[in-house]
Amino acid sequence: MGINSIVNACSHLQNSSRAKLGLTSLPNNKYNLLLALAMHRAGFISGVTRGGPNPPLPEQVISEEAPDPNKFEPVTSANVATRRLWLGLKYWDGKPVMRNVVPVSRPSRLVMAQLPQLNRIARGFEGGQIKGLNLGECLFLSTDRGILEIREALEKKVGGLVLCRVS
Amino acid sequence: MSVTRPATRSLLSGRLAVVVPIPPAPTCHRSFHSSAPLAVRSRPRFRNILAKDMGLDTPKKVESFAQKKFPKYSPAELAQLRTLYSPEQIAALQAGEAAIDPKDLTIQGRLRVDPYVLPYIDDFSDIQPIIDKRPRKNAPPDPNARFMNLDEFTLDLIQWADSDAARKGDVTGQLKKLTDFVADEYKNVAEGKWPGKVRDQAREAFMAYLQAQSGKPEKLGDGASVGGPTDADILEYILERSSMTDNGLKSNSSMAPALPNKVPGVAGLYKNAIDPEDEGLDDSGIYRELKKSTGMTVKQILGLTVKVLHVRSVVNQTRLGKIRSASVQVIAGNKDGWLGLGQSKAIELPIARQKATMMAIRNMKPIPRYEKRTVFGNLEAKVGGTIVRLNARPPGFGLRVSHRIFEMCRAAGIHDLSATMPRSRNPMNSIKATYEALLNQPNPDEIARGRGKKLVDVRKVYYGGATE
Repeated sequence: MGINSIVNACSHLQNSSRAKLGLTSLPNNKYNLLLALAMHRAGFISGVTRGGPNPPLPEQVISEEAPDPNKFEPVTSANVATRRLWLGLKYWDGKPVMRNVVPVSRPSRLVMAQLPQLNRIARGFEGGQIKGLNLGECLFLSTDRGILEIREALEKKVGGLVLCRVS
Repeated sequence: MSVTRPATRSLLSGRLAVVVPIPPAPTCHRSFHSSAPLAVRSRPRFRNILAKDMGLDTPKKVESFAQKKFPKYSPAELAQLRTLYSPEQIAALQAGEAAIDPKDLTIQGRLRVDPYVLPYIDDFSDIQPIIDKRPRKNAPPDPNARFMNLDEFTLDLIQWADSDAARKGDVTGQLKKLTDFVADEYKNVAEGKWPGKVRDQAREAFMAYLQAQSGKPEKLGDGASVGGPTDADILEYILERSSMTDNGLKSNSSMAPALPNKVPGVAGLYKNAIDPEDEGLDDSGIYRELKKSTGMTVKQILGLTVKVLHVRSVVNQTRLGKIRSASVQVIAGNKDGWLGLGQSKAIELPIARQKATMMAIRNMKPIPRYEKRTVFGNLEAKVGGTIVRLNARPPGFGLRVSHRIFEMCRAAGIHDLSATMPRSRNPMNSIKATYEALLNQPNPDEIARGRGKKLVDVRKVYYGGATE
């Protein structure tokens, strides 16, 4: 699948967030899962849960506890294609927390950023082809330590493939 | 085409064809709209119920209804009426009652039963200025009257001077006279024949009396100066006395009746032009409404920074011609985080400017400022084809912005900012877009709370906080 699943996820999340949906789903793959978890760490989504074509209960999505494995349908080679990731979207003060989700890398043009570049971007200056971050903006990168937010990447001193900017 | 063809053919081959008389055009009844004609619409859905069918027009029914609805006065009622009206009025009332047959009232009269019915059938005792004509108390003017000639006028003036009207305000009419201060034996004797001692005493007493009455010393012996017509009497003579040979006939005034002293319903709503709280700064009352709506004093309002940013001439094209007006955009700010934008149009430029200023002051809203000097992050707003981008800048950067944005920043108390307008730089829209951008700034605290994060401004941690 590669990067295009991320691009699709970006568009889908922006659309469903602007449509004020409470719960939405992405295809279940590793890339989407890692992005969803990074967004969850950054506070853009309220929860991530694995599920089938039908949405899980809202409590399951936002619960802090580890889910009971008996309640979940086990993933088999027969049903793996229908598995989806269910994300809880967040709203504050009547507005979506995640208003803009813009993909940076595209399948036709992958954008890489090394550490000095990221340093500049995180402080709001232009770095290479990427514009500096504005107030409240986040940049997600795919590194060899997983998908990280730009500040996490700077902490771990890794650069990588720039996926998307979220604000 | 198929409809018109036979007629065309017959006209073209008219030599052999029989001349067909053209039917006269229908007189009217072209339908101009699709709704049903009035005659069709007004037909009731039910048959009318006639009084005859219900047996209500029999003499017996009519009489019972008349007795019930229009009863005659009972002796007790008559006695009560006599306390209210004079015998002549009672006679007139009874004559009027006798003139109207209750049966006629029953058959021909329309007694209203709707909820808006008046509390009386007809009551002419009260004059209601809205529905009644003004009563004409005086007789109609004399058609044969003409203006007085000099002799008649002089005679009339003498008559007026002798009359009580001229002495209405005359103190002598009510005051004692000199003869009241002498003994009874001299009262019918002329003053010149009184003994000198009696005359002196009487004059002294009379003078003392007059002084006590008026509080002013009067000249002795000058009878004309004591009392006489007042200024009001003279004015009444000039304005109201008839100058025609109609024996002072008064005419009916065509003036509308004056309003009562205090009109009910608006008591307490009269505006006082000058408010002592303004300390003489707003004698014309321009800021009165503004004071009420903003809660500021006139001194505070006058202390605001007000700037006309853009003036343009606009035209309304009517069928009679072009109507030019001036359109003005004004900003108002307190140089400490409040900014308002007002736009107004008027035929006259000063009026438009004043209206826009008032609106700007009324529209003042708080502008979020980072460290009271710049904006939060990079802002962008679009109005029409104009995009304004405002960028937060470090302390000491200054205002590197276009002149209109500079004025807005100065009025709002923003000191460090840079701005670009990448597309159209329309003056009016650039002002609007800047105002919109300044108002819609992201709030970092709200963003942090939405994401469930803790937010710390490191500038305040490392540098001991920015100057407040």
